[in-house]
Amino acid sequence: MNLFVVGLNHRSAPVEVRERVAFAKSGLDEATRSLLGAASLHEAAILSTCNRVEIYALAGSAADAAGAVRRFLHGHHKLSDSVDAYLYEHRDDDCIQHLLEVACGLDSMVLGETEILGQVKEAYHTAQQAGATGVVLNRLFQKAFAAAKHIRSTTAITRGSTSVGAVAVDLAEKIFGKLGKCTVMVIGTGDMSEATARALQSRGAGAILVCSRSQERAEALAGQLRGRAISYDQWPDEFPAVDIVISSTAAPHPIVTTEKLVPLMKTRRQRALFLIDIAVPRDIERACGEVENVYLYDIDDLQGIARSNRAAREREIAACQALITQHRQRFADWLGNNRTAIEERYRARPANTGFADPAHTHAL
Amino acid sequence: MITDRTYLWLAQAFYAVSCLITVRRLRTGGGGPGSQRTNYIVMAIGFVLHTTFLYLRGRHLGRCPLTNLFETQAFAAWAAVLFFLLIGPSYRVSFLGAFTAPLVLLICLAALISPIDVPHTQTLARSAWVEFHAAIAIVAYGAFALAFVTSAMYLLQERQLKTRRLTSSFLLLPSIEQLDVIHFRLLIMGFAMLTVGMVGGMISYRIVGHWPTPKIVWAAAVWVLYGTVVLARGMWSVRGRKVAVMSMASFAFMLIGFWGVNLLRP
Repeated sequence: MNLFVVGLNHRSAPVEVRERVAFAKSGLDEATRSLLGAASLHEAAILSTCNRVEIYALAGSAADAAGAVRRFLHGHHKLSDSVDAYLYEHRDDDCIQHLLEVACGLDSMVLGETEILGQVKEAYHTAQQAGATGVVLNRLFQKAFAAAKHIRSTTAITRGSTSVGAVAVDLAEKIFGKLGKCTVMVIGTGDMSEATARALQSRGAGAILVCSRSQERAEALAGQLRGRAISYDQWPDEFPAVDIVISSTAAPHPIVTTEKLVPLMKTRRQRALFLIDIAVPRDIERACGEVENVYLYDIDDLQGIARSNRAAREREIAACQALITQHRQRFADWLGNNRTAIEERYRARPANTGFADPAHTHAL
Repeated sequence: MITDRTYLWLAQAFYAVSCLITVRRLRTGGGGPGSQRTNYIVMAIGFVLHTTFLYLRGRHLGRCPLTNLFETQAFAAWAAVLFFLLIGPSYRVSFLGAFTAPLVLLICLAALISPIDVPHTQTLARSAWVEFHAAIAIVAYGAFALAFVTSAMYLLQERQLKTRRLTSSFLLLPSIEQLDVIHFRLLIMGFAMLTVGMVGGMISYRIVGHWPTPKIVWAAAVWVLYGTVVLARGMWSVRGRKVAVMSMASFAFMLIGFWGVNLLRP
């Protein structure tokens, strides 16, 4: 009896391949049931996200079943050419290790990201609903969730934002606390300024004002962000009410200077002001950052912080691996101790037909 | 032998544990909301022991325990912890305890170690006004002590944001706007109580018929200083760093004067 995983991820396969083998959420339970039958598996679960497609399974012999799972993958997606070269396979201890790493975000594109844990939970619940999991996978997934929680709380693997937008949000929260009362002004439209504004919005930022040399583009972006477009010449008039400025114009010279800023700070009664300059060449004079209660960050500053946060996460990998080893060992021991009983049980009922009885799934 | 001082020593042990928790949090670069709760509970136990000391001393004296410098210092530190316990959870100010515990520990240990716990020799004027004005003024000092603490946190955070050098302890500090608002509230509370204490003082001195000049000059100076800070923040829209520096300077002046006036007292 073997545990194994067959799959591909963002490292092993390009997106063109990943999208072809991805499972639609709507048909996932159906697919899981047909997988059980097709590959004569005792238990199975399919994890399908934009960065990975993985099939976790328990079978009498991985040597036979893994090949069947590969064939199922090709057949189910009606692939005309083979994707075998992109697939990896881990068995027993390596399979346990792999799931733990995935659940903890160690195998993710953004190291330590936490969204993956929710996706793994969802995949498990779908498989469980389809009746495809049993004593082994139930326990394995539960232990993986516990391990992820343990590692998240005792190491710094999830700490510090690693993208420019998220770093900007962190800084905004360090300055203003809750962002609900903050007004954001976007000067100049662009992907980066939109992403940053969205990041602030997703954390509760209040009103959004957009202005651009092109009124048309300003209105388009304002529409997308459910904000208000203002004319380019009017931004100094709106300034007193603004708390956060995201600037990304194509202007060759700074558009915000200390000369302009100092009198404006008086009109806003010296309330704190956060200036985010993501334009190159820069839109905001560097000296504006020296003005009292003004906090200025340009694109290099934000990227620098994101980079150092990534480096800090990488330094935590060893600590995470040490904990993962403990959790893996504990599960492997349990599996070893109960192997005979589990094999006995599955011998009486060779393949899970997809409708495992509750006693069968929850015993042990 | 167990005396009332024993309880004050025990309270210090808990404040010291709170300091150690902070050091550990800084080392590991965090330690979630759990360790913050632990810290709060440790401080609360310290506070109960601290209160026990004041109660026993007060019962022994048959009056508010403010008869010598030792008792006054212990009382002021107690007021600071009281404000921390009140403000900490309601504003969800993370890390406030980390700055409060060392300050309180310093003030109390200085009081416990130095030979200032001597019974007052002069017969003390028994007047409810005398006790009331002293007690409320000391509670005001507690509020100012916590204003000092929030100002220090503000300046630390502001420096990191300005220089764009963010350390891991940065993540634990509350936002500067939040600190600015809490700081202002503490200032207003402290200033209001100090004003009441001053008025009470004037009434009590009229009753007692004795005017301790240096103390009055000092108290008036503290009142003017803090009044200026409150006005600057509230009316003249001075914000942020300047207010924090003014508040810390006022506290330093108050502390020096406090020891000066009390130690030089005949």
